[in-house]
Order: sequence, then C-alpha cells, then structure tokens
Amino acid sequence: MTTTAPTTATASIDRPTVVAPARRTRRRRRRPRVGTNIVAIVFSIVWIFPVYWMVNTAFKPRAEVMNPTPHFVPYQPTVQNFVVAITQSDFLRDLLNSLIVVIGALIISLALALFASAALSRFRFRGRRVIMIVILAVQMLPATALLIPQFLIFNDLGLLDSYFGLILAYVASVLPFSIWTLRGFFVTIPVEVEEAAMMDGASTWRTLRSVLFPLVVPGVISTSVFAFISAWNEYILAYTFMKDQTMYTLPIWLVSFSTPTTGTDYGGQMAASVLFALPVVIFFLVIQRHLVTGMSAGAVKG
Amino acid sequence: MSSSTVTTVAGEGAAAAPSGRRPRAPRHFSKQSRSAPLWLVSPAGIVIIALIVAPILFLLFTSFTDFNSRTLFVGSFNFVGFQQYIDTFTSAQFWWSALLTIVFTAALVVGSLVIGVGVAELLARLGKVMRYVVTVVLIFAWAMPNVASAQVWNWLFEPGFGVINWMLTQLRIFGDVTNLAWSNNTFLGLFCIWMLIVWQAVPFIALTTYAAQTQFDPAYIEAARIDGASEPRIYFTLVLNYLRPTILLITVLSIIWDFNVFNQIWLVTQGGPNNTTATLGIWTYLMAFNTFKIGTGAAISIVTTVLLLIISGFYIRSLLRSGEEL
Repeated sequence: MTTTAPTTATASIDRPTVVAPARRTRRRRRRPRVGTNIVAIVFSIVWIFPVYWMVNTAFKPRAEVMNPTPHFVPYQPTVQNFVVAITQSDFLRDLLNSLIVVIGALIISLALALFASAALSRFRFRGRRVIMIVILAVQMLPATALLIPQFLIFNDLGLLDSYFGLILAYVASVLPFSIWTLRGFFVTIPVEVEEAAMMDGASTWRTLRSVLFPLVVPGVISTSVFAFISAWNEYILAYTFMKDQTMYTLPIWLVSFSTPTTGTDYGGQMAASVLFALPVVIFFLVIQRHLVTGMSAGAVKG
Repeated sequence: MSSSTVTTVAGEGAAAAPSGRRPRAPRHFSKQSRSAPLWLVSPAGIVIIALIVAPILFLLFTSFTDFNSRTLFVGSFNFVGFQQYIDTFTSAQFWWSALLTIVFTAALVVGSLVIGVGVAELLARLGKVMRYVVTVVLIFAWAMPNVASAQVWNWLFEPGFGVINWMLTQLRIFGDVTNLAWSNNTFLGLFCIWMLIVWQAVPFIALTTYAAQTQFDPAYIEAARIDGASEPRIYFTLVLNYLRPTILLITVLSIIWDFNVFNQIWLVTQGGPNNTTATLGIWTYLMAFNTFKIGTGAAISIVTTVLLLIISGFYIRSLLRSGEEL
C-alpha cells in the first residue's frame, strides 16, 4: 500500500496531466507506416506474454505444465487447476477475510475522506495548508516506516491477527490518497450551486448533504475503486500482521499456494493468480476511460 | 495542462469568492459555518494523527532503543542513544543496500520512462485499431496485482520448466540455460525484477503521456514538416518540449514509487543471494522481522525516509511553494 500499493500512492501537486484524450476530428493523421504497425505488434506480444502465459498454464494439466518443451496452447485443456485452487485450499476462507478487511477499510476511509475533502476544498481555515502538506508527505513514506511502529503498537494492543488491526492499517494507507482524490472532485463543482442553496436558507450541513454530496457520487465511486484495488492487492502488512493461518488474506494465500503433497504446483498457482487478478482486471477494463484521470490524481500503481 | 488549471482556479474561486462579498467574515463560507471545517476535518485528522503521525514518532523513539524480540514478550528495553545509527552507518550491508537502492531506482525510472514515453509516441502514430489493441494490452499489464505478477514471473523464469529459459536455449547463443536459476545470481535476479517492475510501470507512463500528447496542436507539426524538419527533429524539439511538465511529474512520482518498491523484490529474490539484492526497504524488513532487531530496523527506516526526502527535496520545495494554491 504505501507500498506501492495504496501505498504506492502519491499525489501530484496540481494534476497537470489530467486530461482526457481529446477527439480531434479535423486532425489529419498520416497513415501509419508498416514499420510502425510491426513495432506495435511486437510490443503487444511482448507485453501481453506474461498474462497470456499465466492463463495458458492455468488451463494445463500437471503433466503438461512440467513439460521440458512448453506448449503454447494447452493440448488437453482442463479446469482442474481452478477446481483444486478453489476446493482444496483455503480460498473461500481467505476470500472472506480479504473482503471483510478491504470493505471495512473502504467504508471507514471513504466516510472520513468525504467530510475531510469537503472541508479542504470548500473552506479556508487555519491549518488547512499544513493538513494538505501532511497528506501529501505521508504518501512518500517507505512501507516499513509505518509497518514497524504499527506492528509494535498493535502487538501491545492485541490487534495483531485481528480484522480490526489490519483494517486500521489499511485505513492509514488508503485515507490520505482518498482525501486527495475526492478533493479533486469537490473542486470541480461550481460555487454557484452551493451559493444558491445558501440563498434558499439551507444550513451548512443541509447544503453539504443535499447539494454537494450527491454531486460527488461519481468521485466517491472512482475513489472507492482505487481504494479497493490497493487494499485488495496489499501484501506486506497482511503478511506481517496476520500470522494465524485462519486470518490470511488472499495475497498471502496466493503466495503460499502449493498443494501439500506435490510441492509447488505451478498450474494451480497460475489458476490462483487468475482468480486473484480477475476482479482487478475487470475493474480496470470497466473504468479504463477514467484511468488516467484518477491515477495521476494519485491513486494506485501496481 | 488546460483543464487542470481551470479546475484549480475554479476551486480556489469556490473557496475564496465568498470572502469578497462578506467582509465581516473573511475566508469563511458563511458566518454560521465557522466551526464547520473543524468538525468536518477532525475525524480524519484524528485518525491520521493516531495511525500515521504517532507511529512515525514512535518509530523515531524506537530507533534510539534496543527493541528486540525479547522486548516483544517482556516489554523491557534500554535507551542506547545513537548506537543504532552508528551500527547502521558502519555496516557494509547498509552501504551496499543504499547504493543498490539508488542505482536500481535510477535504472527503473530511466527504463520505464524511455519505454513509456516511446510507447506514447507509438500510440500517437498508430491507426485506430492498433491503438486500441495496444491500449488493451497496456491495461492488462497495469491491472495485474503485483503479488500475482511476481508469481507469474517466478514461473516464467523457473529453472527447469520456465518458458524464458527454454526460449533462450532455443536461441542457441547462450548454450543450454534450461536450469539457470535467475534469482540465485545478483545481477540476473535484479534484471529479472527490473523487467517485472518496468513491465508494470510502462502502462501508466505511456497512457498519461499519450493523454497529454493528444492535447498538442498538430498544426505545429504540420508547419514544421512544411518547413522541412525531419521526423526525429520534430519529435525531440517540438513534442518532447511540449510534454516536459508531464514527464517531469511522472519522473518525480516514479522516483518515489521505485525507491519504495518492496513486494516485487521480496517475492522474487527475498533479498538473496546473501542479501545482495536487498534494497533498503528489504534490508529494513529483514532486520526488523527476520532477526527481530527492531531498534536497528527502525534506525534504517528513518535513514531511508530521510534519504528519500533528500532525493525528492526539490519536489517538496515546489510543494511548499505552491502551498498557497493547495
């Protein structure tokens, strides 16, 4: 998270790159040369290869996975690896753990971020600048800088091996960029909207609740997606805080994936990787139009 | 630049406009809401102080003690002054890790930027169909969780049955490398991790740069072409110059991200062989959680944080300078 996952997140000062590709109809593109297309095809093959190889391996029976001459398509495709990954491991239990922690952290951070970003974008007050700088600066911390003290504190408070402890750790890494990203959405709402509400005699709270909050719903949704992805992918905090096997989240499940009898089972591991990556890939494809905007506002990097 | 500038200005207008009309309550939304920002910000503020600021102070405190595994059980520890820092600065491993972190970060930033900006130019030159294909490919690489892609990398480079070793053997240049264990060699292990991180970093860079590039008025390019400028000349003097602010921002973000990379290294080599691929982050973790010399780990962590602050100092400075606009 601070890992590079949420962790990873760092915000820009002023979002200079947040510009959707404009459609210029009158732009006269020169017809691409053959060479350009060849470069693009080679690049695409190289870049998609790891993903393709993951899927390819996931559908191979064990004998084919461990073949000295690799097959570029499964000769005998099978879903056995997926069946094994789901039924003969702790997939369902760890999926539940992941969902509890990720959704818990998501709800807490988004609620806090919604109020804080409203204040930071709509009001001028003492300490505002300090808060903004702290929010930006904490996103530069190395993962271990928070990991060590949080581990010691949670150890004292008995929060290791607990959902609540990991939820708190994820809130710490997701909250700053959530505030930053949501603030970007608040800032785009014209002042006239709330001035009109004020004119009609609405209180500050009423204005926020009935006018501003509904207008930032798209921002809340996209911030939630980024926060979900970073918490879902987070590995090192969960690995350090959750030592009890029954508390493992999916990333730990994935890394420790192997069937007891046969050692590392690459077919199963690739099937597990597909299962783990699938929700994230679907999210990305759905929100791809907004990717550049949100990401450069400081959300996630792999 | 255009739209973002507009939104920032609009946002500042939002905050500042009422102050003009209400001279008695300047800088406030309205009189009655003077306390509003306080109760809006405090919940998040308290959480940030409790979960981030206080732990950082505690980390600083820990770095002056001999916290170790015994402390975790018994709770007793001693103050050792600057001893942990002295130990850190006199250990050869620390200097190796610090050097490695800086050089590896530089290699990652340069690699991902050159490829990423190149792919942005490629996207700009492609027809509609191929551009769509390349974009989808980029999104797949981008979306892969790094824990999953590290597993895929371990499989691709697996000694014995990994497809990369098989392909290299087919080339017949390196001889039979079927059983080559990449992660057992410092250089090959780092190269393997470098490819993994660059593979995942390029999509963000390429798509962001391409988005900025589409804002560049092609009339300038046409004009330069009519004046007889060569294609590389047009790209390097016109397009790259236009992209400079975007590339600068991406560079800063990449430095911070790549400096803090953890998972990919941890999951591919675990810092091995013999801690030669342990960057500062990995070395801190090994100290604090494998040998449970938590005090030492805390000291290294503080030094790492300061090092990153120095490296990205100019970014912080511009941040403070633009603080008024925040």
